[in-house]
Amino acid sequence: MMDIFLCLKQPSRMVDSKRMRMTSNFQWILLTFLLLYLMNQVSSQKKRTPHDLKCVTNNLQVWDCSWRAPSGAGRGAAYEVCIENGSHSCYRLEKNTKIPALSPGDHEVTINFGSSISKFTLNEKDVSFIPDTPEILNLSADFSTSTLHLKWNDKGSVFPRHSNVIWEIKILRKKNMEIVKIMTHNTTLNGKDTVHHWSWTSDMPLECATHYVGIRCHIDDPKFSGHKEWSNWSLLKNISWSSDSQTKVFPQDKVILVGSDITVCCVTQEKVVLALIGSTNCPLIHLDGENVAIKIHNISASESSGTNVVFSVEDNMFGTVIFAGYPPDIPQKLNCETYDLKEIVCTWNPGRPTSLVGPRNTSYTLFESFSGKCVRYKRAEVPTNESYQLFFQMLSNQEIYNFTLNARNPLGQSESTLLVNVTEKVHPHTPTSVKVKDINSTAVTLSWHLPGNFAKIKLLCQIEINKTNSVHELRNITMKGVENSSYLIAVDKLNPYTIYTFRIRCSTKPFWKWSKWSNEKQYLTTEAIPSKGPDTWREWSSDGKNLIIYWKPLSINEANGKILSYNVSCSSDEETQSLSEILDPQHKAEIQLDKNDYIISVVAKNSVGSSPPSKIASMEIPNDDLKIEQAVGMGNGILLTWNYDPNMTCDYVIKWCNSSRSEPCLMDWKKVPSNSTETVIESDQFRPGVRYNFFLYGCRNQGYQLLRSIIGYVEELAPTVAPNFTVEDTSADSILVRWEDIPVEELRGFLRGYLFYFEKGERDTSKMRGLESGRSDIKVKNITDISQKTLRIVDLQGKTSYHLVLRAYTDGGMGPEKSMFVVTKENSVGLIIAILIPVAVAVIVGVVTSILCYRKREWIKETFYPDIPNPENCKALQFQKSVCEGSSALKTLEMNRCTPNNVEVLETRSMVPKTEDTEIISAVAERPEDSSDVEPENHVVVSYCPPVIEEEIANPGADEAGGASQVIYIDIQSMYQPQAKPEEEPENDPVGGAGYKPQMHLPVTSTVEDLAAEDDLDKTAGYRPQANVNTWNLVSPDSPRSTDSSSEIVSFGSPCSINSRQFLIPPKDEESPKSSGGGWSFTNFFQNKPND
Amino acid sequence: MGCPLALCCLLTLLLPLLTPGASMSPAERISQAYDPALYMRKNTSTVLQTYLQCQGSPLSDSGFSAPELQLSSLPPADISFKTWHALDDGEHLSRVQGPFLALTQHLQLMGNDQRDPNPGSPILLAQLSDARLRAQGLLGNMAAIKAALGLPTPPVEDTPGLVPFGASAFKKKRRGYIVTGEYGHWPDRAMRDLALLKAKYPI
Repeated sequence: MMDIFLCLKQPSRMVDSKRMRMTSNFQWILLTFLLLYLMNQVSSQKKRTPHDLKCVTNNLQVWDCSWRAPSGAGRGAAYEVCIENGSHSCYRLEKNTKIPALSPGDHEVTINFGSSISKFTLNEKDVSFIPDTPEILNLSADFSTSTLHLKWNDKGSVFPRHSNVIWEIKILRKKNMEIVKIMTHNTTLNGKDTVHHWSWTSDMPLECATHYVGIRCHIDDPKFSGHKEWSNWSLLKNISWSSDSQTKVFPQDKVILVGSDITVCCVTQEKVVLALIGSTNCPLIHLDGENVAIKIHNISASESSGTNVVFSVEDNMFGTVIFAGYPPDIPQKLNCETYDLKEIVCTWNPGRPTSLVGPRNTSYTLFESFSGKCVRYKRAEVPTNESYQLFFQMLSNQEIYNFTLNARNPLGQSESTLLVNVTEKVHPHTPTSVKVKDINSTAVTLSWHLPGNFAKIKLLCQIEINKTNSVHELRNITMKGVENSSYLIAVDKLNPYTIYTFRIRCSTKPFWKWSKWSNEKQYLTTEAIPSKGPDTWREWSSDGKNLIIYWKPLSINEANGKILSYNVSCSSDEETQSLSEILDPQHKAEIQLDKNDYIISVVAKNSVGSSPPSKIASMEIPNDDLKIEQAVGMGNGILLTWNYDPNMTCDYVIKWCNSSRSEPCLMDWKKVPSNSTETVIESDQFRPGVRYNFFLYGCRNQGYQLLRSIIGYVEELAPTVAPNFTVEDTSADSILVRWEDIPVEELRGFLRGYLFYFEKGERDTSKMRGLESGRSDIKVKNITDISQKTLRIVDLQGKTSYHLVLRAYTDGGMGPEKSMFVVTKENSVGLIIAILIPVAVAVIVGVVTSILCYRKREWIKETFYPDIPNPENCKALQFQKSVCEGSSALKTLEMNRCTPNNVEVLETRSMVPKTEDTEIISAVAERPEDSSDVEPENHVVVSYCPPVIEEEIANPGADEAGGASQVIYIDIQSMYQPQAKPEEEPENDPVGGAGYKPQMHLPVTSTVEDLAAEDDLDKTAGYRPQANVNTWNLVSPDSPRSTDSSSEIVSFGSPCSINSRQFLIPPKDEESPKSSGGGWSFTNFFQNKPND
Repeated sequence: MGCPLALCCLLTLLLPLLTPGASMSPAERISQAYDPALYMRKNTSTVLQTYLQCQGSPLSDSGFSAPELQLSSLPPADISFKTWHALDDGEHLSRVQGPFLALTQHLQLMGNDQRDPNPGSPILLAQLSDARLRAQGLLGNMAAIKAALGLPTPPVEDTPGLVPFGASAFKKKRRGYIVTGEYGHWPDRAMRDLALLKAKYPI
């Protein structure tokens, strides 16, 4: 067939090949037909005999064999079946026969039907094993847990051998029987009928829908080699919830594990429109009828009131509450101990919160396995993570307890165990009723009450003894426990007349825990005699007649009671003076002595007795070789050292006082042993920045010799004031400064030097900030020679304000600064040079110009002043007398416009020497107001307009202006002026109306005054036009025309002069009359000098 | 400030119960009962809000309202105006007394219901207790007015009848919501009845 197929697939081969292939195919077809024919013949032969023998078994003991009857055999036909099974056995049967199970191997089976005989070879392998259909005995449901319980019988008694059975159970839901689950269950057949139970918990409450269950089985007999097949499914059994007409939601009040899934359904006959989990809307799963369900995945922990699931119908609301939480954690830190060996208290920590409260909260049970007793923990109303505790009554004669603490809630349980020997876990109660009684001044008895029966064990108690201003002392005491709880001990080694505070705590041996400390009990021990005499010193009064004896009060430890009085006595070889009953707190006595060598004795007394006497010699050994030294302390004290002196046989005494106090001065003293070479003097009275005097005395032969005198500070501070300084002398380039000492009280340390700062600057502008910042413009002089009291600052600039600052410093820091402004004097040489140079230059220029003009006068005359021909001599211009005479009006003067080539105005500046004072204290206040001094300006303007008439006009107002003003006006007269007024000398009549008039000389009554206001004087102080200002037309400097008739008087024959004024007044001058133009001043000269 | 005021109010409410024999006119009795009823009406919303806040979502969500819910054991306060206006004095008082008795019992039941899910909410439990005492005070005032008016005072029926003690947590919450809701309505109804009587019996 494959070949045929291939041939059909390849029709385009060569013809020869085709022919050969077609012949071959034909042969194959013939053979096929032949084979089919033969098979048909065989089949026909079969159909005439019993055929298709098949055997099945359902119990492995009996085989149920059947075959197909031969054609023509009717119902009830009898067959003889013979089986060759070791022995030949024949059965006469109808169509089907049950035969005992045959042994493994081939067996010949002969079936005779009439004359036809069929022979089969039957083997166990050909037999199918199909178990009987199982039958469900019972199907029940636990609706509260949504669990189905299935019960069936395996009918194992019918099977000959033990076999494994696989049960397959299917769960179907809803009326349309949706398969929910198919599960297998394995059992073993044991030759007996056994009823099996199987349970299944539904993820959906069983009330929500009808659940169906079916079962089938598969027996796996290892010895059976035939086909093992599944049985048929049993009849389905169902579970449904018989509901009333009321709507209900399932499950109710379910407690589930956080993170699990749950299905909630609403069994109702109304249409559910909305389902909510908390406030979250949920999709509805429709079940049978109007029933709906929702699924909650991975539920989170509920709050205390639970998680609400709400189903809303049209006019009502149904729901359930789900409590999602955790099973109880393993109780942590379980600890059992006893306070009194009567009761055991077990405490533990619940661990992770369960999120379940109320009836769902965790309940605890403490079980003791040796005694079999248990106690239950009553749940707290409020859930807490704090420690829980349970009390267990101790049993007599039982010391070892094995506790098991069981925690349980609806989601599970956990437990924790503890094996404990309670005698080793004693945590005593707090001791109470602490009492103290005297034994003597150094010992007391201490009693207390400790609840509990500790007769069988030892107690370890600790007594804390506190003394005022002393370290706490702890004393451990081991004692045997008692039954009556009262304990008593003696406490010794106490100090007399001392307030002690006692408190007690106890533990047991072996140690487990201390009890809490008892309340403190304060007690004052009784007095004893003072243990030593007071520390004594003496000073001679300033007049040397009286000896002042000082002593220090005894410390509490030394006094051993309240010191009531002191006895002082002075004894010498000759006499003894006594001062008795000097009442405390007086610690000083004065005795008149005659400079003899006395031994002073001081005794302190309390109510019990007197102290040993404290003695000191009155004699003071002189020391000629005494120097005053300096020392600086360490903040809280000062270290004094000295060389070892073997002559000092008793001790050294260091006394000190504030240096500002008058003698005799004594703040305190300190005694050190004679073998010492140093000591640190400390005192609460020491203050930083205060100078103290220290005196070191050595004791020799019962007399004291002053060895060293030291001034010092425990800590140096910066001075509080700046040194007062004044300027002694000032010149153009130097300043001499003198300052004063700073008082010791304000110095607050040893003076190390002064810092002097100076810079150029004036008050209100100079701010010498950041003196330490190293500004380059500030010069600093560090004066380390503290004896130096003056300083000359040199290389300064004249007439310059300087800012001076002086401050003192110690090792404690810089003191405040004191500043001053000083102005140096003016440099007179520079001033003279500045005046002489320009004057000399001007003179030289004038002289050279004059010489040149004189030598070239002919050329100048030819060039600029050629001879003018007399028109009267011109015949062409001669008029007839008849015509000209008597009509002088016909004589006309033709005036041509004159365009000047240049205008030069020369103006000299008045030089008023600036008066500058040397300022010492207040430069600003005493400084002259320079702003009011407006120096007169001198302008030089040169104008040129041919023909030129040079005219020089002296400025009569120069005295008033404080300086000479010279104006040279060139080209101010027309060429006809000499003809009109040939003898006129304008400089003799500057106010006259002819010719040019400098503005300084205009009459005040002119019309200019009307125009210019007083505040415009500055503007009018310079050049003023000689014409009426009102008639000016300033449109163009080239077009000034005088149309006013009055102008003829003012500007007689001088149109060029009118024209020239446009050039004489530069625009800048009108705007700023102060402008110096090309001038200069001495101030500028100095100011341009670069700073040093 | 609120606590002393509430205490005074409670004392005022309970005063008629403590002094049953005091002879007062009907007008005085009515006036004495009116002010506490007014105070009670003003504070009912607080109880409802506190209650809902303790019940979890969606009950605790802002704007939650389910006015259609009712309890068979607690009659609603709504009444047609015509019917209400046709009531005589005794009926005005009697028709309020029964529901208030039911309210007191339901409020006590709520107190028990809320101990389990809300053990950490003493405020709610205290407010429920106060509400119950106020309702009892009003009941006493009503009885005193009836006595002053000379009306018969038969024992009030125990309206709640069977209370489903084994109710699920959700049913308890639902029931509590209805009770606290009605607790907000009935004082209003009582105050209106008292106002009517007050106008009828001026001092």
